[in-house]
Amino acid sequence: MEILSVKNVSKQYSNHLALDDVSLSVPEGSIYGLLGPNGAGKTTLIRIINHITAPDSGEVMFMGKRLCADDVYKIGYLPEERGLYKKMKVGEQAIYFARLKGLSKSEAISRLKYWFTKFQIEEWWDKKVEDLSKGMAQKVQFIITVLHKPKLLIFDEPFSGFDPINANMLKEEILNMKKEGATIIFSTHNMSSVEEICDHISLINRSKNILSGEVNEIKQRYASSTYDLAFSGDEEQLSRALFGVNIAFSENKESDTKSAIIKLPSTDGVRDIISKINETVDIYSFNKVIPSMNDIFINAVEGKLNL
Amino acid sequence: MGKIGIIIAREFNTRIRKRSFIITTMLMPLLFVGLMIAPTLLMRMETDNSRTILVIDHSNVIGDKLISNNKLIYKTTDKSEEDLKTQQSGLFGYIVIGADVIKNPNDIKLHTYESSTLDTEYAINRELNRIIEQERLMNHNIKGLGSIINNIKSNAKVTSFKIEEDGEKSASSSALSMGIAYVFGIFIYMFTFMYGMMVMQGVIEEKSSKVVEVLISSVKPFQLMMGKIIGIASVAITQFCIWMILIVIFSNIALQMITIDPATIQNSMQMGASLPAGVDTEAMTALTTLTDWSFLLSIFGSFIIYFIGGYLLYAAMFAAVGSAVSSVEESQQLQLPITIPMMLSIFIMISVIKEPNSTLAVIASIIPFTSPVVMMARIPYGVPTWELVTSIVFLYSSFIGMVWVASKIYRVGIFMHGKRPSFKELFKWIKYN
Repeated sequence: MEILSVKNVSKQYSNHLALDDVSLSVPEGSIYGLLGPNGAGKTTLIRIINHITAPDSGEVMFMGKRLCADDVYKIGYLPEERGLYKKMKVGEQAIYFARLKGLSKSEAISRLKYWFTKFQIEEWWDKKVEDLSKGMAQKVQFIITVLHKPKLLIFDEPFSGFDPINANMLKEEILNMKKEGATIIFSTHNMSSVEEICDHISLINRSKNILSGEVNEIKQRYASSTYDLAFSGDEEQLSRALFGVNIAFSENKESDTKSAIIKLPSTDGVRDIISKINETVDIYSFNKVIPSMNDIFINAVEGKLNL
Repeated sequence: MGKIGIIIAREFNTRIRKRSFIITTMLMPLLFVGLMIAPTLLMRMETDNSRTILVIDHSNVIGDKLISNNKLIYKTTDKSEEDLKTQQSGLFGYIVIGADVIKNPNDIKLHTYESSTLDTEYAINRELNRIIEQERLMNHNIKGLGSIINNIKSNAKVTSFKIEEDGEKSASSSALSMGIAYVFGIFIYMFTFMYGMMVMQGVIEEKSSKVVEVLISSVKPFQLMMGKIIGIASVAITQFCIWMILIVIFSNIALQMITIDPATIQNSMQMGASLPAGVDTEAMTALTTLTDWSFLLSIFGSFIIYFIGGYLLYAAMFAAVGSAVSSVEESQQLQLPITIPMMLSIFIMISVIKEPNSTLAVIASIIPFTSPVVMMARIPYGVPTWELVTSIVFLYSSFIGMVWVASKIYRVGIFMHGKRPSFKELFKWIKYN
């Protein structure tokens, strides 16, 4: 079931079109990556989902109904530009934001205690935000975002500013929340994190949704007909056997295995090639080279991908 | 509590806990009362060191008639000038009066052991002139002159009355009205400006620290703006109330300190009698007025009405400007439509205080941009009810209109970064939906 679907949404600002007929749907319980270069319109889309601005045309459905103002209680939003009152104490501030999200004061305090203990930051409660480091403030901001246990979480570049240890901790928390049934949309430029945790993605470029789908499916879809071979045997013989095929060998100094990259014009006839290889040398492995999300992203944005 | 309530509470709590707020709130009334009683206290101190002057009277006419007061004490002496040439303890100096002083009044010399003051010399001159004039009159040998002189003595003092609409008359002091008008006009100006700026700074702070991004996913821009405006207004009203209470308390303490019972001043003012020597009448009148609760409440009431109206009107404008810029420095130019009418209202107020019922005064006290300051300045003199009602209706309806316009600008402005918008662009924002 879809928790959120965006249907034909367009948004015009005074001198540019920020979103042009964008549609996408986010399955419940998934981690959904919203990718795209800077200025593509991701933030505008996120603001529309957060009910901050209204689309000029199109609609947003949340849990089967048209998105309304009260839905913000069920959404948690971590903006890219982190914002906290610098002069306010951490605890007090967290309570304030929690109450604006509809929690009672006592409920807010008990949930905050839980998170502060979990992140081992109890001693920050009475500190002013201006005395925290950037990474520390990020943690506080993260807690504020998830405190009201929203059904839908939207993270805009959640890992920026975190050291690897804390980034890992955050990743685990995100996966935890998914396990508990939350749906997570996150916008990022960090492709390795997309590959690690996202189930689905949408790629927004120049105000349009140019690529949507499940991560693995997309990778398969754009996998080229390039293969990675590991073998032992005579290279010359193999070359001769595969006459006319684009093959490049590479030395593997540490072991007896040799490797080669084979580029085929299409995926047809792979079996034929495999049997030819099999007759000539001993195959250790034969793998289709799957493109990384990074390659797909760059190729799609630069228009090299056949969409 | 609604979301606006939560926002108001935050704005209020964070601000009144600031050290700067607590300090100004406590110190201002102290300073205010201090400035009022300082002249009286100073006079008191002066009376303690009265000056004794010896009089060598060669004319034998003047000496006995000199009247000492608590500042100058005259003592006739038989000592010669030679005896007094050396420093004498406990003496300010001596006067030598010529034998033919009635005909030749310049033949008077004052010798002092310490440097003399203009005040003292004037006092001596006045006293000598009085006696010489009297003596010259006597020389005309008019029958019954003594009783004539006593008869013609006059000490005129105008007691003013204001004729109210219901025909009742009450004593009013124009000096006092003017003072109060001035103080409260300035108060409104100061509060509106100070707290309006605070709204603007708050908006800029939220925008530049990106807090607004977080906030706006939970509250509507309108709620955020109104919450801030109302929250800061309640800080201002709290400060004003504390000031009023402290001023009343400090005034009472001050009067007690200079051992004058407020009731006796009130009585003596009504009787037209003179106050104990060494008390500054004007300051005492003012101080006593400040201990008069009913008067304070009526002024206080109109202050609250005009402050809230004027503040809301201007704060909405300040909020709109704050949302459009990314730093206080950038806001200067956009602030012009706010600061110009405010400055204007102060200039108009100064002329209105002298002519509280001029055409300018009436018009300016109805136009909402100037009415809070100008009307506040007119109220102590008494204002016809219809003018008051018109002015308040205008003020509050234009505040509603201004909040509507400001919220349109604010909604767009808080997400705009980069170049400072022009007035034309702001105008465009109003028309967005």
